[in-house]
Amino acid sequence: MNLSQIDLFAAGSAVLAVWMCGVTRVKALLWGVALQTAMLAGICVLFGIAENQIQLIVLALVVFTIKAAGIPIFLARSAKQVDIDRDKGVGISPTLTLMVGCIVLYLGYSLAPEFAVPSMLNRGSAGMALALIMTGMLLMITRRLAISQVIGFLTMENGIFLYSLTQTHHMPVLVEMGVVFEVLIAVLISGVFIYRINRSFEHIDVTDMRRLRH
Amino acid sequence: MITFLLIAALPLTMAFLGLIPRTARWLPRAGATRLLAQIPMVIWICAPAFSGQTISYGAFLIDGMGAAFTIITTLVAAAAMVYAAQLLPAERAGGHKITDRRLGLFYTLSGVFIAAMYAVPLSRHIGYLWIAVETTTLMSAPLINYYRGRNSLEATWKYLILCSVGIAFALFGTVLILAAQHSFTNGSTMMMGDITAHAKDMDPRMLRLGFIFCLLGYGTKAGIFPLHNWLPDAHSESPAPVSAMLSGALLNCALVAIWRISQIMAAAGQADLVRQLLVPIGAITVVAASIMLIKQRDLKRMLAYSSVEHVGLLTLAIGIGSGQLLMLHAFNHSIVKVALFIMAGGILHAYGTRDLPKLGGVLKTSPVWGIVLAAAGFAIAGSPPFGTFISEWLLLRDAFIQGEVTAAIAVIAGLTVTFIAITMHVGRVVFGNERNPAKTAPVKAWALSPALLMVVSLLAGAAVSPTVMRTLTVLAQGAQL
Repeated sequence: MNLSQIDLFAAGSAVLAVWMCGVTRVKALLWGVALQTAMLAGICVLFGIAENQIQLIVLALVVFTIKAAGIPIFLARSAKQVDIDRDKGVGISPTLTLMVGCIVLYLGYSLAPEFAVPSMLNRGSAGMALALIMTGMLLMITRRLAISQVIGFLTMENGIFLYSLTQTHHMPVLVEMGVVFEVLIAVLISGVFIYRINRSFEHIDVTDMRRLRH
Repeated sequence: MITFLLIAALPLTMAFLGLIPRTARWLPRAGATRLLAQIPMVIWICAPAFSGQTISYGAFLIDGMGAAFTIITTLVAAAAMVYAAQLLPAERAGGHKITDRRLGLFYTLSGVFIAAMYAVPLSRHIGYLWIAVETTTLMSAPLINYYRGRNSLEATWKYLILCSVGIAFALFGTVLILAAQHSFTNGSTMMMGDITAHAKDMDPRMLRLGFIFCLLGYGTKAGIFPLHNWLPDAHSESPAPVSAMLSGALLNCALVAIWRISQIMAAAGQADLVRQLLVPIGAITVVAASIMLIKQRDLKRMLAYSSVEHVGLLTLAIGIGSGQLLMLHAFNHSIVKVALFIMAGGILHAYGTRDLPKLGGVLKTSPVWGIVLAAAGFAIAGSPPFGTFISEWLLLRDAFIQGEVTAAIAVIAGLTVTFIAITMHVGRVVFGNERNPAKTAPVKAWALSPALLMVVSLLAGAAVSPTVMRTLTVLAQGAQL
C-alpha cells in the first residue's frame, strides 16, 4: 500500500479545515466539509484495499453518501430555507481566524508524537486528526450562526473518524456505522431546529440567544 | 436475547403508538399503563442479578450495577409517564395549543429515549455505550422543546450543541482506549470484559488520555461543575415529565458510563488517577452548586441546580471507588427528584408561574400538596429519616475512611449551604404567605405518585442495614463485565 497517500489525504483534509476558518460563505463552508469527508472516505478505501477488507469499502461508501453528500446537501437546503449566505463571525475577523487555524495545524503536527500509536504506520495522521478536532472547535467558537456550529461539529467528528481509522486496528464497522447514523440524526434534528430558531427569533445568530442567564 | 427485547418492548410499543395518527385521546393512558406494567416486569427480569447471576447476550449484559440502574430508570420513567397522562391532557384542555401530532411525537421520542436509557447501563461494549448515550441526547432534545417557546428553543439548542460536542469528546476517548490496546496480540476489543482482563497490557499513557476525554464527554452529559452550563436551562424549560426523566434517569446514565470507564482504569492499575480527578471534581461541583442554589428565583432552576449538587456527590462516590454508594445514592436522589419535578409541574399548572418570589401558601391552598412538597424538600436537602440522608452520610463516612478529608469537609460545607438554601426556598413556597392566588387549586390526584415516591424514599432510608450494604458492595464489585 502507498502509505504516504494516506498521510497525504489526512493532511489534505486538515488543510481544508484550516481553509474553512477563513471562509464566510456558508456554501463554501459546506463544500469544505464535503471535500474533507470525501478525503476521509478515500483513506477508508485505501485501507480497505491494502488490508483486503470489503467492509471498510462498504463503510467508505456509507460515509461518502451520508456524510460527504447527504449532510452537506441537506444543510445547504436549510441554509436556503432560512435565507442566509454569509457568517460574519464574532468580532474576530476571518483572516485572523485563519491565522489561528494555521497555529492549530502546527499544534496538531507537534502534538502528533503524544497521541500517535507507536506501532502504527501512519503516525503523522494522528496529528492531522487532532488538528481537525481543534479546528472544528475553533469554528464552533468563532462563528455566529447556528448552521456554522453544526459545520464545526462535523469537522470535529471527522477528526475522530480519522484518528480511529489510522491509529487503531479499526473500530468494528458496525460501531462506525452507528456513529455515522447518529451524526446524521443529529444533523437532521439540528436542521429542524435551525428552521424553528429562524422562525421565532427571525435570525439564527446564536450569540443573540441569551435570555436564559442567571 | 429475549430478555433484552422484553426490557425494551413496552417503551418501544409506546413509541410506535405515537406514530399512528388519531391516537391522541387514549395515547397518554396507554403510555402510563405500559410503563406501570414495565415495573414488575423489569424487577422480575433483574431479580437474578441481585443474587449474583448475570444474563448476557452479545454486547449486552445485566449485572448488579446494570440491574440497579435499569430499575431506577423504570421507576423514574413510570412516574413521569403517569404524570404525563395527568398533565398533558389537562394542559390541552386548558388552552395550551398542542396538536395531536406533537403529542404523538412526545410519546414516540419518550419511548425511544427510555429504551436508549436502558441500553446505557446494560451495554458491555464501549462503542455501543457511546451510541446509546448519544441516542439519549438526540431523543431528549426535541422533548425539551415540547412547548415551542423562545426560551425552550434556546435551551434545546444549547443542550443539543453542548452535549453533542461533549459526547464527541467521549467518542474520542473511546477511540483512544481502543488505540491503547495496540500491543494486544490477538487484536483490539471494545468489550469491557476483555479490556479489563487484559487491562495491564494496555498503553497506560493512552488509556489515561482516553479516560480524561471520556470523563470530559460523559461529564458534560452528567453536568459536573464547569460543564453544567446547559443543565439548568434544559431541565427548567422542558415539560415536567421530561424534566423528571432528564434529572432522575439521564444523569444517572452518564454517571454509569463514567463508572464503567473508571472500572477499566481500576483494572489497569490506574485507580489513583480516577480518584485524583473525580474526588476534587465531585467536591467542587457540590460546593459550586450549593452557592448557586442560594440565589435561585425559579423553582425548576433551583431543582436543576440541586441535581448538579447530587451529581457532585455521585461523582465523589465514583472517585472513592464505591459502586454501592453510587447505586444507593442514585436511587435515593432519583426517587425524590422525580417527585419534586412532578410537583413543580403541578404548581406551575396551578399558579401559572415558577417564580419563587411569587409563590407561597401551598399548604393553605392544598394541605396534601403542602405536606408532600415539604417532605420532598426536606428529603432532597438530605435530612433524616429519608433515604438521601443515609446515603449522604455513608458517602461522607467512606470519604473520611479513605482519607479524602479536605473533599469531605468541603462537601459537608456545601451540603449545609444546600440545606439552608433549599429549606428556605421550599419553606417559603409551602408555608409562606400566599402572594399570588392559585388560578386553579392543585389537583389532589396528581400528588398521589409523588406521595408514593416519598414513601419509597422513607422505606429506602429505613431499609439500609449493614446486610443491605454488604449485598450492594458484592454486587458492585462482582460486576464481572
